[in-house]
Amino acid sequence: MARPRKVFFRRRKVCKFCADKIDYIDYKDVKLLQQFIPERSKILPRRISGTCANHQRPLQQAIKRARHLALIPFTTD
Amino acid sequence: MRTYELMFVVDPRVSDEDVVTMTQDYKNMITTGGSQITSEENWGRRKLAYPIDKLNEGKYMLLYVSSEVGKTALPAVEHRMRQNDKILRYLTVRTDEDLKRAARRPQKPTAGGPADAPVVDNAPDDEEEV
Repeated sequence: MARPRKVFFRRRKVCKFCADKIDYIDYKDVKLLQQFIPERSKILPRRISGTCANHQRPLQQAIKRARHLALIPFTTD
Repeated sequence: MRTYELMFVVDPRVSDEDVVTMTQDYKNMITTGGSQITSEENWGRRKLAYPIDKLNEGKYMLLYVSSEVGKTALPAVEHRMRQNDKILRYLTVRTDEDLKRAARRPQKPTAGGPADAPVVDNAPDDEEEV
């Protein structure tokens, strides 16, 4: 009969930029970008952050620009 | 009409007045080249995320420039900045296209759904389409 099925609870990830309706990801917005660079200062992958592809692309661009201007680090040692 | 953002980081050992005069030079270059300075921001002294030339701080300046197509002194300004060793970093970003796209997008959900439609319902729809 009905086999006991494991029920997975996974919080559905929502793209922050879609939810907050942020359309222009500004490289100057350090606070916002910091949410996507964890401890080692790597760019948080989409599969973790849940950011949609259309927003991950400008996000990546913004992070790289901010890094160039030393607003956020390339790495932490 | 194109808009640009020009941000640069100046050596913190340069005095504030000198930063202003330096910036004024660049601004003059830009305006004589046929572009307009729409606004500017002085972020002042700010800690760098990583040391540049063994310096831990920098003075940030930000210029917003708008210009007609083909009438920009920005390449020349960049060239000058590259030669100026008091400027640690600079970055020019063209913003008109991205801002235009950003301005267009939020109109879609409002046009699709009536004003009284709950925002929460719209959000997941956006995400799947976009």
